[in-house]
Amino acid sequence: MTKVLLVDDHPMIADALGMLLRETQYELLGRARTAAEATKQVASVKPDLVLLDVHLPDASGLDVLRRMTKARSRPKVILLTAGMEDAQLLTATDLAPEGMVLKTSDPSLLTECMDAVVAGKKWIDPEIAERTRQAEARAASAPPLTRRERELIELVRQGLRNRDIAAELGVTEGTVKVYLHAIFDKLQVENRTELALRAGELVSR
Amino acid sequence: MLGGCFLRELTALQGLFKYQSGRVIALGRVMLAILFLLALFLDRTEPVRAILGTYLLLSLYAFGAIGIAVATWRNWWLDARLAVPMHAIDMAVFTAIVFSTNGSTSPFFLFFVLPLLSAAIRWGWRETAFTATSLVVLYMGAGLLLARTQNFELERFVIRSGHLVILSLLLIWFGIHQRSTLFFLREDFDSSVGEGDNALARALGFAIDVAGASGGALMVAPTGEEPLDGLALSRGEQRTFSLQRSIVRSHGYSSFLYDTARNRVVTRLPEGRFHFAAAADWLDIDSGFPAVARRGLAAEVHTGTQQGWLLLWGISDLSTDFIEFGRELGRASGAILDRNALLQAIEMGAAARTRLSLARDVHDSIVQFLAGAAFRVEAIKRGAKSGTVVQTELDELKRLLVEEQGEIRGFLLALRRDRELDIADAVAELRALAERLGQQWSIDCRVSADGEKGAIPIRLQLDLQQMLREAVANAVRHGGAKRVDVDLAVSDNRLQLRVADNGTGFANNKGQPPAEPWSLKERVERAHGSLELVSKPGSTNILISLPLAGAAA
Repeated sequence: MTKVLLVDDHPMIADALGMLLRETQYELLGRARTAAEATKQVASVKPDLVLLDVHLPDASGLDVLRRMTKARSRPKVILLTAGMEDAQLLTATDLAPEGMVLKTSDPSLLTECMDAVVAGKKWIDPEIAERTRQAEARAASAPPLTRRERELIELVRQGLRNRDIAAELGVTEGTVKVYLHAIFDKLQVENRTELALRAGELVSR
Repeated sequence: MLGGCFLRELTALQGLFKYQSGRVIALGRVMLAILFLLALFLDRTEPVRAILGTYLLLSLYAFGAIGIAVATWRNWWLDARLAVPMHAIDMAVFTAIVFSTNGSTSPFFLFFVLPLLSAAIRWGWRETAFTATSLVVLYMGAGLLLARTQNFELERFVIRSGHLVILSLLLIWFGIHQRSTLFFLREDFDSSVGEGDNALARALGFAIDVAGASGGALMVAPTGEEPLDGLALSRGEQRTFSLQRSIVRSHGYSSFLYDTARNRVVTRLPEGRFHFAAAADWLDIDSGFPAVARRGLAAEVHTGTQQGWLLLWGISDLSTDFIEFGRELGRASGAILDRNALLQAIEMGAAARTRLSLARDVHDSIVQFLAGAAFRVEAIKRGAKSGTVVQTELDELKRLLVEEQGEIRGFLLALRRDRELDIADAVAELRALAERLGQQWSIDCRVSADGEKGAIPIRLQLDLQQMLREAVANAVRHGGAKRVDVDLAVSDNRLQLRVADNGTGFANNKGQPPAEPWSLKERVERAHGSLELVSKPGSTNILISLPLAGAAA
């Protein structure tokens, strides 16, 4: 039996997946509703496979995957999602989970993906693969970051506030805000926290 | 009654001299000339020399002053044209008076004040300083000429010189600062800024009202482009127009008076002096405008992203003061356009946030539900294949689908409604939702309301429904509650929601502070509300307070 941990906060999905995995080679060991619970249960339950929702109430499922990837060994992971933004798709691709399935695809694809992943293969939902290709093309054609924008991202990464960044760069706080919004648009991130967390990955592109 | 009459008279008098510095100067000159003539006539000791010449000069001056006042009363062009010559005459008369009168009774001082004050009012500090210096030099020159005569009093001459210098400095200061005076009140401006209406009409209407014009036009275009499209308002009628070419060529001046019938334009140089030009070089008002539009005020308008021109016509008492006034009107009209654009952006931002919020709700509830339902169908299908009895599971799925259908119907109904919903209807919907949640979680869930009068924004109702779902889910999942009571009340323009359950609460066994229902808290914060949690074993109270005014519909 393959030990499975489900990380999803929606009761309908959790109950349905519980039913789907009944009388299969998969044993559903537990369910986590938040990123914090997921991290704890991965350590305590030691599942072979984690079905991980991308949208969790307290953090992104991608953050959970990033934390697991930093550990010495991690269980195989299938990302479950009802939809991702371009930036999330690219991050997910970089984090290289073993599988990715759209919740809105044919439900039989999930078991197909699980079987493939357990067999040691990589399985990506065709629709996600196509969207990722499009996101990569859009990212490649996006305007490059200027030297000043890269400087500003580095200062955001260091945790500096706008006022301190303005003092550091010798500009006004308003100018910093304008720069930040331009960077958010270019990199398709929503806020400075996401920018700080993903600075390395975004600037290296 | 008497007070009312007096107030009306006073207001009429005020209107006669409002924005009419040329008129005030001309009238002051007339009164001064007549008064001086009268003073000399009554005082037998003056003038001390050139008696006939002095009387003749003053009589001519008085008649001339009356003539100038009459001629320039409603003629801004003549007023501007004669400003410098009359200033020189005022100074010359001052010198003559100093020369011909000398005793302690000489009222020459008033003749010193007139040109100095005129320069300070009409022009800037440079002209005032020039006038003051000239007058002091002329005074001293006349004094020196008289120094050898018997009537000359050195002590009085020195004291008077000191007075002239002090007064000069005061009026130079006045000349520096008088141009920064606001022509209209801030309330006039604030009342003309609002949401929704045509911003051009608001800005133009404001300018017409404040200037007392009978009509006007406002043309704007993105910065760098010629302002060809605009709006005209004349005697209450509003029309948009589109021009073939720009009708104003300002030559770098931001405000000017024009009279195309007489081919005249007057504006001011930055230092305050008048500049005259031919209207044909500055304006091209075609037949699309009323005849009255051929004489008026033109002012440049700038906004953050646009620039253009404001034309005002039919101003009954147009004067050279309107050149400066026009600059302010142009700035104020630009500010009205900017503020309207800002309000529009805020509205659009609120609408975008509402759309995003609705999309999130649809994603969190409907999309997830349908995905879950599809997984269930797949599970049932596989169960049926392997011979499992699936009747119970099908019944359960049917029940869930019917419930969700109700939820979606409520959601769509809310979207179709206007911006607000009666509290009574909102409570009825929450009661229906509470019943469904009770069935879903196998608990007793009830909603009560304290007063059901008033209305709440639709966005808030959608938030309330989601908050109720999350609060009930928390109570059952974390506290194992069997009963949830929801109280709703409106007070001080805030919606107060109390969710009480009989579960074990958020408090943990180690006696540490209770964990917070972060998901619920996040939703409350997004609605600009506050959340308070009072939790102990056997009872949990969540108190949510949401603003009614700030919630976007």
